[in-house]
Amino acid sequence: MGTPLLDVSNLTVAVGEGASAPRVLTDISFTLEPRGILGVIGGSGAGKSVLAKAIINWLESPLRVVTGKVMFEGRDILTMSDRETRLLRGKAIGYVGGNPSGALDPTMTVGAQIVEKLQAVEPGTSYRKAQERVVALLDAVRIPSSDQRFNEYPFQYSGGMMQRAMIVDALVSNPRLIVADSITQPLDVTVGAQILKLLRELRDEFDTSILFVSNSLPTVADVSDRVIVLDRGIAVEQQPTADLITSPRSAETRQLIDELPTLWAHDDRSRLKPASEDARPIMSVRDVSRNYALASRGLLNFGPKRILQAVRHVDFDIYEGENFGIVGESGCGKSTLTRLLTALEPPDTGQITFEGKDIFGRGKEGTRAFRRRMQLVLQDPYNSLPPRNSIGTIIGEPLVIHGLASRKERRSRVLEVMAEVGLPASLYEELPMVLTAGQRQRVNVGRALILEPRLMLMDETLSALGQTEQGQLLDLLEKLQAQHGVTYLYISHDIAMVRRVCARVAVMYLGEVVELAENETLFFNPGHPYSRALLSAAPTLESRRYRSEDCLLDGEPPSPIDLPSGCAFASRCPQAFDRCLIENPRLQSRGGLNRAACHLLDSENTVPKEVSA
Amino acid sequence: MHVGGGFIVFIVNFLIRRLAQGVIIVFLVSFLIFTLLRVIPGDPVRLMAGGMAPDHVIDQIAEDMGLRDPIPVQFVRYMGGVLQGDLGQSFIRPASGAAVGGASFDDNTRSERAEVFDLIADTAPFTLQLALLAMAFALIVALPVGIYGGLRPGKWPDRLALYMGSLFISLPNFWLGIVLALVLSVNLGWLPAIGYQGFAYTILPAIVLAVEIAPFLIRSLTVSVAQNMRENYISVAAIRGIGHRRIVMAHALKNASVPLLNLLGVQFSMLLGGVLVVEFIFDYPGLGLLTINAVLQRDFPLIQGIAIVTSAAFVVINIIVDLVATTIDPRLEY
Repeated sequence: MGTPLLDVSNLTVAVGEGASAPRVLTDISFTLEPRGILGVIGGSGAGKSVLAKAIINWLESPLRVVTGKVMFEGRDILTMSDRETRLLRGKAIGYVGGNPSGALDPTMTVGAQIVEKLQAVEPGTSYRKAQERVVALLDAVRIPSSDQRFNEYPFQYSGGMMQRAMIVDALVSNPRLIVADSITQPLDVTVGAQILKLLRELRDEFDTSILFVSNSLPTVADVSDRVIVLDRGIAVEQQPTADLITSPRSAETRQLIDELPTLWAHDDRSRLKPASEDARPIMSVRDVSRNYALASRGLLNFGPKRILQAVRHVDFDIYEGENFGIVGESGCGKSTLTRLLTALEPPDTGQITFEGKDIFGRGKEGTRAFRRRMQLVLQDPYNSLPPRNSIGTIIGEPLVIHGLASRKERRSRVLEVMAEVGLPASLYEELPMVLTAGQRQRVNVGRALILEPRLMLMDETLSALGQTEQGQLLDLLEKLQAQHGVTYLYISHDIAMVRRVCARVAVMYLGEVVELAENETLFFNPGHPYSRALLSAAPTLESRRYRSEDCLLDGEPPSPIDLPSGCAFASRCPQAFDRCLIENPRLQSRGGLNRAACHLLDSENTVPKEVSA
Repeated sequence: MHVGGGFIVFIVNFLIRRLAQGVIIVFLVSFLIFTLLRVIPGDPVRLMAGGMAPDHVIDQIAEDMGLRDPIPVQFVRYMGGVLQGDLGQSFIRPASGAAVGGASFDDNTRSERAEVFDLIADTAPFTLQLALLAMAFALIVALPVGIYGGLRPGKWPDRLALYMGSLFISLPNFWLGIVLALVLSVNLGWLPAIGYQGFAYTILPAIVLAVEIAPFLIRSLTVSVAQNMRENYISVAAIRGIGHRRIVMAHALKNASVPLLNLLGVQFSMLLGGVLVVEFIFDYPGLGLLTINAVLQRDFPLIQGIAIVTSAAFVVINIIVDLVATTIDPRLEY
């Protein structure tokens, strides 16, 4: 090993002036060798982003370095002049942040801005040369048709594409170090997995060192050679990645590892109940589709109408008393399906029945009665509660809307429900602002529960909560299910949560249910390549049953406008063959309640394992 | 999309759609003005023919001019003319020049009445010149003050912008006009004030108008520059190694220019349509003065003509503004 590329010693950062100012980072020391990837892991408030910014001397007031040095190639970054820092940042150190969508000027093309950067840090580069280099790098990060993409605007890029473009922006000046701060956080897991793979390849190809900051231990472990664990500004542990996972030295690291959900190993936190085949369906979705027509791009709006196919031929049953899950990544049609299932809008074709009756069949009154029996619990604990209404009013409001209780009854009913969801009665008159995220979700559950619904639709309800709060809320939901016999429909992008809770899972991709399977089947013997890809990309430390290298080709989902004629997943599927490009597979039974839509099953199904029900 | 022929298709689509909308707007404005003018009390024929004219003469003239027909019939007839570029003839003004009150109903000279189109075509250039100069003056002040204020929020340039805006906006234009005319024209003799005999006569009213609109421009610039400087892409640009000057000039100002452009469009339309007070004070022979006189004289065809022309100008200005805004920020295409 030669001299380290980056040598941080005794770095302490405080908020504000004075000796008693609170410390955000305390006495951090580490080195990063050329070609090394160092991971920095920590929860929110651990100081990991501050560390990333300190390394490029980007601390803004009131943040302030108290002591310490950040030596980059033998020079202290913290004592450089503004001009030196600026050139160093752009040229020798590249920075990629966690918010790719807002990282470039929306009014200029992506290519022009990367060229602009290159010309700023390497004056004298001709536009032509710069453009050639940018296009070559866009190719290197596998942005398709890079020539054309060069001339597109940031808003025409998807999140994953934009993150690739930002990596190109960091790479374009041949930096020795790239600081990657939470770069996979806003991305879908399958796209995030591709970015990680790309990062490793780039290190090998361009000899760049990487400081990789993330709040997800599996993600950090995936790319890094060494890992620093930050906890409240203190580096509690620093080890090579493999050692850190197998023999963590600090309690904080052990907790991080313990909190991680497991997909395949037995998990004590599992709340799985077996699916029952003989139960009665409470809700049936029959061949439901929903399209949205967009304005044509032709002259005078003539030319083909563009149709966005948000939900395509979705068909499943939800049985009474079960936990049913719908998983999928952004753009898979979850939100549209939620709107259909809650009767916010009718499907174009197909039928949705609840307790045997069509939810749109009986006019406005019928829909209202349906909504009483079926309640939606929303995702965002912060924006889903009216900030100026008291908690009691919020929980009691559904009673007013449905005209169910007098003023007096309402109060006692609300207090009853508050006790049931674990909110102290003293909160009745308080405003939502005093609540924690977990308590807010309890309010949301409470205001759904007060109508005594038969089915509760949980739209990413647990996504915004930490592991501990998530576990507590799941306990509560389980208790309510035992007492009231409620059925839960979970809609989520989090496959680990679904693993712990849902007896049966529908996997959606581009508007279709590509697989409908019992929990164990989905995780141990998935029938659709996309399910495997999703499992291969899920953040976990377990030895994976599926490697993302084998399960997922580069590229992103096609646009839901102008869908390809064959299987929608074919463009990313390593097992796709001729037929997949021509013919869209329909869901077919794999025995029991399990169904999947893949042509590969035809060969598998020639010898049925079980007589299908 | 901007790539290849897509942009041309977009422009053509855009122009066709917006012009079609514009025609509808102008049509509705015309109908509204036309109807209102005929519903309100006061018979223009009486004004034309004079107070002394006997009733049967009044009726005869009204009949000849079609003023006794149902309003929709009159409107269709009128719009038929408009489509051929004929805005009708003034009730009051003779083609020869100065306005005359119709004191005598049998005056022979009064039969030759002025074409509304000509009246507007003669005065509009003066108003256009005044509006452009006022806009230029306002921008000369607003651009540096507003941009600098936006770049230093909470510091003295920001406060300067705020105080300047407050001061300008609280000066009544008729008062400012009179004071400036008194000081610059009467006492110092630097600039001419009343009437029009050359370009210099435009300067004083333009200054008054500039003071009136500058506060809006300053405020809009300060807010949008400050807001854009807080955007993520601005702080990231510094980390990407781009110099401060370039960040401000090429990125922050470009993004801040879209709201300013929209405001300029509105302000310019306002200047074209209604600089009534200022033109009246300085006796400036523009559209505003023409409008005031037309209203005072119940010159229906002239009022209608001015309304149609100004609403058409609004439509055109809006189309231009939106088109320019789209080329600055391509997201607006969607």
